[in-house]
Amino acid sequence: MLGGEETMDSKYYLTWEEYLTEHPELEGKSTQAIASKIQKYEDAMFTFIMDLLL
Amino acid sequence: MTDAVSLTNERNQMFRDLFSGKTPKRVPVSNPATQDFAIQYAGLDLVESQWDLTKLEPVYDKFCQDFKTDTYPGGSIRIPSHYQLLGSTPIIMSSSGFMQHPEVVGLLAEEYDQFIASPYDCIIETILPRLYTEFNGQPGKVAMALAKAMRAHSDDMAYLGTIRAKMNAKYGFATMGAALTEAPFDFMADFLRSFKGISGDVRRYPDKVSAACEAVLPLMVKKGTLPNPSMLGYTFIPLHMAPYLRDKDFAALYWPTFKKLIETLAEMGQTVQLFVENDWMRYLDYLYELPENTIMRFEYGDPKLVKEKLGNKHIISGFYPITLLQTGTKQQCVDKAKELLDILAPGGRYWWQADKSIINLEANGPVVENLKAVLEYVYENGVY
Amino acid sequence: MIDLQVLTQAVGDLDEKTILTMINDFVATNPSGEDAQKVVFACQQGMAIVGDLFEKNEYYVGDLIFAGELLSKTIELLKPVLSGVATQKVGSIVIGTVQGDLHDIGKNIFGSMAEAAGFDVYDLGIDVSPSAFVEKVKEVEPQIVGMSGVLTLAIDSMKKIVEAINEAGLRDSVKIIIGGNPVNEDSCKQIGADSFTTNAAEGLKTCQGWVN
Repeated sequence: MLGGEETMDSKYYLTWEEYLTEHPELEGKSTQAIASKIQKYEDAMFTFIMDLLL
Repeated sequence: MTDAVSLTNERNQMFRDLFSGKTPKRVPVSNPATQDFAIQYAGLDLVESQWDLTKLEPVYDKFCQDFKTDTYPGGSIRIPSHYQLLGSTPIIMSSSGFMQHPEVVGLLAEEYDQFIASPYDCIIETILPRLYTEFNGQPGKVAMALAKAMRAHSDDMAYLGTIRAKMNAKYGFATMGAALTEAPFDFMADFLRSFKGISGDVRRYPDKVSAACEAVLPLMVKKGTLPNPSMLGYTFIPLHMAPYLRDKDFAALYWPTFKKLIETLAEMGQTVQLFVENDWMRYLDYLYELPENTIMRFEYGDPKLVKEKLGNKHIISGFYPITLLQTGTKQQCVDKAKELLDILAPGGRYWWQADKSIINLEANGPVVENLKAVLEYVYENGVY
Repeated sequence: MIDLQVLTQAVGDLDEKTILTMINDFVATNPSGEDAQKVVFACQQGMAIVGDLFEKNEYYVGDLIFAGELLSKTIELLKPVLSGVATQKVGSIVIGTVQGDLHDIGKNIFGSMAEAAGFDVYDLGIDVSPSAFVEKVKEVEPQIVGMSGVLTLAIDSMKKIVEAINEAGLRDSVKIIIGGNPVNEDSCKQIGADSFTTNAAEGLKTCQGWVN
């Protein structure tokens, strides 16, 4: 987690909780491994996008 | 190579000490020249070497060997491949082969409300399509352009990372992480409203400027967060617009969210390095207020006054004029380094860096010899 | 009847609302070209106030940029009533950011201040080659050529441009001023320019001195 996610409030950035709401089929399945990977790429995209404006 | 490993450990300790306000065993020194300079120094073509990164390992090896430095003298965020793939307009390569930022407008004045409602939505939907041509068009094409650009960027960074690891292993540099972010006001200015645009906004819609800065602050915090807050490293923040504002506009519009950004990062346990560009002498009292042990690298100003007002609380850096390396004799250049050491080193909290980066190498000029001499001098003689 | 002193002060205060109201009201009265010229002059005097406040560190670069924008807007609004009147130009200047460099904010500030002061300004843009400078000088026969740059490589480009102007046999017909971060007395000599500045207001004064 990079921090500050709770205040992002954007349709283009999902926290794990939001993602899970949209993908309930993942509930209970190796959550830690899946969550950290999914979140890693959400954050990688965030960093890439913001670096285009810095 | 145990030599390199112990050198790295020694240098890491120096920086850990420095960043926590303790006095390291000597003044750390960093080479201010960049990858662009290194490529020219190696006699290679600037354009080709920024596209074919395999050319860079011998470039860096020679660079690291010839110039004394405690930190890895590399890092470029302006590798052209992903910019080209996205149809960049804000970062382009000039006829001289240097990546530069011409004045662009990403956000129109009438779009402030849209931005304030959700900055990230506005960035994806409006700002990026305006600034990067490949964000427009058929969804399939946009998706492919973004995928290619991300892949290219990721490959470039990974490859440069392998060179860095090799150089660290060979030369024993300090191993520090870094994150990049900006003050909210600077973010609003640089790629979004432009210098000209924000100058008018400050007069016409100061409330919107203020609200936009508040809205984007969480994104600036997130962007500036290191992968691991306790790692040795810092958040790098170049400061742009403040010297061009009246005091009252600075106080009302620039300072509040800038201060919050630094405080939030410091609360997370991170070190912050401000690149205090241009002249902040009228704002020294503000800088004093920032969390203890903020690194402040100055471009212009009075080093004596800065040391006096800020040197007991913050880590001072910069001031060494790179233009002297172009025009001065070797002795004059070394004398200047000594002068700054005498002013800034006593009592600690000082890191030798130049006033800005050196990107261009004049083929027959004195810079190479002068730079080598200065770095050597500080490395050998930099005591507190 | 428009109060020219109030207008001048409003420009000096960078009071956009007042300026635009006054100008719009003025244009609506269908004024003579001669009266419109007086209004332009009043605005120029206001810009001189802006320049003074900048030198006194009450205004900063952001304010100069805003001033330039206000003046452009004002001239646009006055164009319909200025047409047909021979506007008094004090001289003409060709400006550009030199080859290899893409920075133009300082150049743009200088350009708008020069226009405000009555110069005809021909702006070649950024990354401008020596031949482009020479072609424009041949075309418009300016009194002054202004070269701008922020990177140190600009110094080399400026040298080449002066050489090109020389080779074209035009050096004696123009005054050359250089501007930007890396310019100073030494580089000015090296380049072969007549003057240098890192301050748009000061550069303008130099140019005004040349055409008087």
